[in-house]
Amino acid sequence: MGASEDKGPSESGGGALGAVDRAFFSVEKLMALISALCIFALMAVGVWQVLARKLFNAPIYGYIDIVEIAMTTFAFIAISYTERLGGHVRMEIFASRMRGRLLWFVEVVGVLLSLFVVATLTYYSYTHFLRAYTAGDSTMDLELPWWPSKLLVAFAFVILFIRLLISLWGYMRLLINPGLEPVGVPLIADLDMVAEETARVGAGEQKGH
Amino acid sequence: MPELSNDTIGVLGVIALLVLVFAGVRVYIAASLVGLLGTVAIIGWDAGAGIIGTVPHSKSIQYTFSVLPLFILIGYLAFHAGITQSLFDAARKWLGWMPGGLAIASVFANAGFAAVSGASTATAAVFSRIAIPEMQKAGYDNKLAAGVVAVAGTLAALIPPSALMVVYAIIVEASVGQLLVAGFLPGILSAVGYAAIVFVWCLINPKLGPAIPGYTWSDRIKSLPGTLPVVAVILIIFSSMYFGWATPTEAAALGAFVVFILALFNGMSMRSLYDALMETAKLTVMIFALVWSVLIFVRFLGFAGLPERFAQFIVGLDMPAWAVMVMILIGYLILGCFMDAIGMLLLTLPVVYPAVTALGYDPIVFGVIVVKMCEVCLVTPPIGLNCFVVSSVRREIPLQTVFKGALPFVIADFILIAIFLAYPDLILWLPRQMLAN
Repeated sequence: MGASEDKGPSESGGGALGAVDRAFFSVEKLMALISALCIFALMAVGVWQVLARKLFNAPIYGYIDIVEIAMTTFAFIAISYTERLGGHVRMEIFASRMRGRLLWFVEVVGVLLSLFVVATLTYYSYTHFLRAYTAGDSTMDLELPWWPSKLLVAFAFVILFIRLLISLWGYMRLLINPGLEPVGVPLIADLDMVAEETARVGAGEQKGH
Repeated sequence: MPELSNDTIGVLGVIALLVLVFAGVRVYIAASLVGLLGTVAIIGWDAGAGIIGTVPHSKSIQYTFSVLPLFILIGYLAFHAGITQSLFDAARKWLGWMPGGLAIASVFANAGFAAVSGASTATAAVFSRIAIPEMQKAGYDNKLAAGVVAVAGTLAALIPPSALMVVYAIIVEASVGQLLVAGFLPGILSAVGYAAIVFVWCLINPKLGPAIPGYTWSDRIKSLPGTLPVVAVILIIFSSMYFGWATPTEAAALGAFVVFILALFNGMSMRSLYDALMETAKLTVMIFALVWSVLIFVRFLGFAGLPERFAQFIVGLDMPAWAVMVMILIGYLILGCFMDAIGMLLLTLPVVYPAVTALGYDPIVFGVIVVKMCEVCLVTPPIGLNCFVVSSVRREIPLQTVFKGALPFVIADFILIAIFLAYPDLILWLPRQMLAN
């Protein structure tokens, strides 16, 4: 079990599905970038908070509120980007041994189950947001409204739902004609590929010298 | 259709989850699906789906969890900060004179790097590049060189900062700070244990790892400044949690900032920074998805009353507590043949943890032991990823050689786990001192 390391859509080809995949991936990438920048900002705000508190006895008022409100960004909005790259954990010990129609059938069933779960979570996350919006829920110190944070969760699930529809399209065409080149779907990586990817990430050390 | 009891629904849910996970459904989807349908089966659609729909937001948006992305960020930035090479240089100059000195140096350089990174496999990748060629040049046996690098990488999950330890704390609702501090001493003891194995192994058979004499005291002293950044990060992260002058999130932010500045000084490009941030975002959302989905599953198990029943069953067994614990740990070792650490931890803890605490084990002791067990699975066949990584970086060393080289250290790990179980104070001493402070 592990997280595969698909490299994302190829730069060209793949017909209509390839074009849709690429266009949607650019949206996902933008969301992941926002998530990444929020993590960077979390670091900066944390440093500021400690220094301001320790050196000037002036901590950021409502620091915890700000962090909690911002957490939706890095906890959710890159979920679809990670899905496209096969970054979510799955057990591949059996699936990686499957070939042809059987593999694509299993993937189609998996995507259909995912669509059901994500649709349900989208709807009920949305009602969760509506309640907060109607009731005017807010944080403890700064009294920031909670609803944008809750709405962002529902939005992240909508994006994931669309990504899953694209995956369903990709797997269905392979199920119908297993001879086609896979487009718009993350592929299962074996352990050697995951190891190579890890080795690539660790290679950053060498570049600095 | 006959009415199913909550117990039966609970057991069916666990079986369904296992079937889905083995069939290759992503774990966050499988856990959410079973949690959703199971809850609905017990309390109905509107109430069940309504409750489950609130879990992702309400369970993720907690200040304590915000330490996770920062720990992950430190790990990715650390690879660009140029500290692995300086750590290994210093360790080599100070320890090279011993039998197996370069291998021992690898262990302690790894332990130092573990203090700025929580990523075992990536640590193994870096040291495969830095330490193994040096050992090969000095005539070290490939088995020893590869085995020690694969195993020493696992120290990252014990020595703070450790993402795995934070995930455990989240699931069992324990103190993140206490768990992180608790991992420190077992991490150091593990490093000493690995070094002792190398020392004895090379004392018996000096050809495996010859000593590298010739470094002067001046060389040694000159090697120390390069390790100062690591010392700074250790001081920031450890002392903040130990003395409570900053929250784990604030400490992680400071640690990440120090490593970020180092990486900039070391010439990290904008492209590398972008990659590190995007990888951090990806890994962060992956862990959060696992956490909230497993908490959906936990909510369902709570409605079914399964963890309590399982705990009652375990406590009612006519066996001493330690024997049950050994069986649980063997179970983890077997599961580790199919799953990676985080998946294994998240899928099992909701059921296993209440049983373990009912047996009288301390949550912190179990946390450290189970994380250590997960790490052992990174160096055991068939899917010990650290060994795959070492073999992937050093293509001249076959995978089997890496697994063989890791074996003596795995045995040492089992002995260490037994010692920790017998003397839990080794784990609890530091967190207790921290509370006293």
